[in-house]
Amino acid sequence: MKKRKSELTFFQKVVRSRTLLLMCLPAVIFFFAFNYMPLPGIWVAFVRYNYRKGIFGSDFIGLDNFKFLMTSGKLLELTRNTVLYNLVFILLGNFLAVFVAILLNEMRSKYFKKVSQTIMFLPYFISQVLVGILVFNLLNYDTGFVNGILTSLGLERWQPYADPKVWPVILVIVYLWQQTGYNSVVYFAAIMGIDGEIIEAAKVDGANGFQKIRYIILPSLKGTIVILLLFALGGIVKGNFGLFYNVVGSNPMLYSTTDIIETYVYRATVVDFNFSRASAVGLYQSVIGFIIVMTVNYIVKKIEPDYSLF
Amino acid sequence: MKKKLLAVLLTAAMVMGLAACGSGSSGSNSAPAADSGSKTEEAGSGNAASSDDPWADVDTSEHVVISYMTTGDAPTQTKERYEEMMAQLNEKLTEKVNAELEIYFIPWTDYLSNYNLTLARMDGTVDLVGTASDWLDAWPNAKNGAFLELSEEMLQKYAPKTWASVPAENWDLCKYNGDIYLMPEDNYAQWTNHGFAYRLDWAKEAGLNDGVKSWEDMTTYFHYIREAYPDIIPWDSDATQYGQMSGGWISSHSDYVSIDGINAGAMWGGKRSDLYTVYCPYMTDTDSLVEYAKMMKEWDEMGVWRTDVLNNTSSTNRDDFRVGKVAAEQHHTQTWTDLCSPQRPSNTIFQDDDDAEVGFFYFGEETGNVTALSITHGAMAVSAGSAHPERALMVYDLIRNDPELYMLFNYGIQGVSWDVNDEGMKITPEGYNADTDNIAGTVNFWWGRNDDLEIKDATLNWDAIDKLYAEYDKIKIEYPYGQFVPDVTEIDAYISNINEIFENYMKQISYGKYNGTAEEIVAEFQSALEAAGVNEVTAELQRQFDELYK
Repeated sequence: MKKRKSELTFFQKVVRSRTLLLMCLPAVIFFFAFNYMPLPGIWVAFVRYNYRKGIFGSDFIGLDNFKFLMTSGKLLELTRNTVLYNLVFILLGNFLAVFVAILLNEMRSKYFKKVSQTIMFLPYFISQVLVGILVFNLLNYDTGFVNGILTSLGLERWQPYADPKVWPVILVIVYLWQQTGYNSVVYFAAIMGIDGEIIEAAKVDGANGFQKIRYIILPSLKGTIVILLLFALGGIVKGNFGLFYNVVGSNPMLYSTTDIIETYVYRATVVDFNFSRASAVGLYQSVIGFIIVMTVNYIVKKIEPDYSLF
Repeated sequence: MKKKLLAVLLTAAMVMGLAACGSGSSGSNSAPAADSGSKTEEAGSGNAASSDDPWADVDTSEHVVISYMTTGDAPTQTKERYEEMMAQLNEKLTEKVNAELEIYFIPWTDYLSNYNLTLARMDGTVDLVGTASDWLDAWPNAKNGAFLELSEEMLQKYAPKTWASVPAENWDLCKYNGDIYLMPEDNYAQWTNHGFAYRLDWAKEAGLNDGVKSWEDMTTYFHYIREAYPDIIPWDSDATQYGQMSGGWISSHSDYVSIDGINAGAMWGGKRSDLYTVYCPYMTDTDSLVEYAKMMKEWDEMGVWRTDVLNNTSSTNRDDFRVGKVAAEQHHTQTWTDLCSPQRPSNTIFQDDDDAEVGFFYFGEETGNVTALSITHGAMAVSAGSAHPERALMVYDLIRNDPELYMLFNYGIQGVSWDVNDEGMKITPEGYNADTDNIAGTVNFWWGRNDDLEIKDATLNWDAIDKLYAEYDKIKIEYPYGQFVPDVTEIDAYISNINEIFENYMKQISYGKYNGTAEEIVAEFQSALEAAGVNEVTAELQRQFDELYK
């Protein structure tokens, strides 16, 4: 009797929220097709892959494919570089995005607002390859723009492509230049969603502009910020290959501060083309990413249960 | 609780899914291609032509398109001529074997990855595959199952002329585990040993009356260029030649003979005096490497290449050499034969300067250390994913051995893209425009060129070329490790890391871009190699050598 009732409610629930379910369907199909169906393919990381035998027919070799990462002796350095860069990208990126969103919100002139938002958005659409060329033309020693200015001012030429120390700064600047406009859109939308009456009320109570930001806008954004941070942290072990490969290139003088897991694996395996080994690296990154997301989510939940993902 | 667990699993799946995406798509086809051959063999009927047709009993009733994969860029300016040529070729192929040929170009940018990736698809995208044991991963692909085993019966039946023209001992060099995988380009004389092409007239001005004969002469030459022609970049390198240079230095300063097909740096080999003891010169020849590092630092400081050479990706050095904007080009002899020829219209240095001459300093010149090419430097394989392997073999047999098709395919349409003069040499016809009509280098048939059908090119400087070839013939040894197909399954994890270390350090050393002294960087390089397992690799290769040669 009880069972039948619950069946009925489930069915009723489905019927009642059919529109919402229908709207979910594309996303469900997408994730199923691209994230769940390839899952068995992880097996390729544990075999010696033979094209003709296929993934499941190839010889099982256990953890041999992971050995190459371990024996490189660079795993720690690479993971550290990858994680640190991503940490800076995530923290600074989000901070700047919130900042820009608030600035945009405070602008009075509608046209100026639109124009500046568009200009900030544009770099996001430039391909990483072009960004790499752009940076090279700005910074190179013989014909670079920066060095052109320096020499015409009678100053000494600057040689960034031989100096690993400056690259963390350059890469972060390039990243922020490209991504901030895009990231700020989400926050801008969240600000737009804040109930106008609250702000109205604060104004009546005599809050000035800064107080409005400090006590109303920022607290309202907290949920969005936490969720976006949590999402970003899942990919913290996955480096931004496009950015690093195109901007730094394969210049070994700069590797000490710019080499991330992706670029190393690319260099080491591009010559012998090993699917299994590349997948092993992917799996390693995923496992670490999973652990990080779970840990951070756990901590968030302890502090503020409402903001955790689940 | 259940919900929570579900959430955890979903998250896990999401994160993992990203990882699997990168590789999963490539692996799913385990094409059972090898046995698709039997169908056409059974059917005896078909459109039999003349009685001496070796394929009279082959069923060719179904019209098929054979796709041939080659490295190289698809033609742009010469597209029109290329399409005309292919149309004529396909007309003839249809007539003879009811098949059409289509070229699947692998552009030069990241060619090796794209080449291997295409092979891994195994979905019949390609049938004929141009390959090479030294520079295109022929053996790894054979081992991975990308190539079809070519049985003797199959070759005799479907590629009879090729089968007859390749001697038995050469077929032996195309075998792995007893099966033939490759059809070698073994009847084509060429030299692809590397060196520097340079301006002989400028070298003479620099006091090198016989031309550049050693690395030290090269230094003198570059010094002179910097002083006498300050507007010229001596060599606008793009930093990809580090391995050729260090390998060249070793050839010039020892009697090292490298083994092909182990890694890009060709880091293992034997000695001319002791061929079957494997060693890695980068570990043993320390003093020589230090000297090399010092000389390259000198070149760097002198300004032989651009300051940011390691990030230079837009170099057009070879074309710049033709017009006199640079003073040297590092590549192989075959390239030099083109650069040294005044009759070639693109080589404008000869028109601009009557004294212009282009010499060649080949690596190993000091010690006379030159090894001839392995016959599998170019070879044709059949993809295991091919749906029509028999017809693919027939098409290959025709374009390799049929004079008419061979010339059409390799040179273009006679009278439009090329012609023959009274002496039987290849010339350019009247009204010929190299920019739009020259399709001689388009199809890149480096896997079946045939000296029996080649026509000597009248625009090449044969006096200089024959002289150099004669010199090579005097000092060369044949490639000694033809039968050796290294089995790297146990050591390839080491080799991956060694590749990375080699590239990392050799780029710095070969372009003089290292901090500290030459001794320090070489020592650092060697200890990194040792930590990555270079000695284990050497020992394993020695074990395999002993098995084969003792």
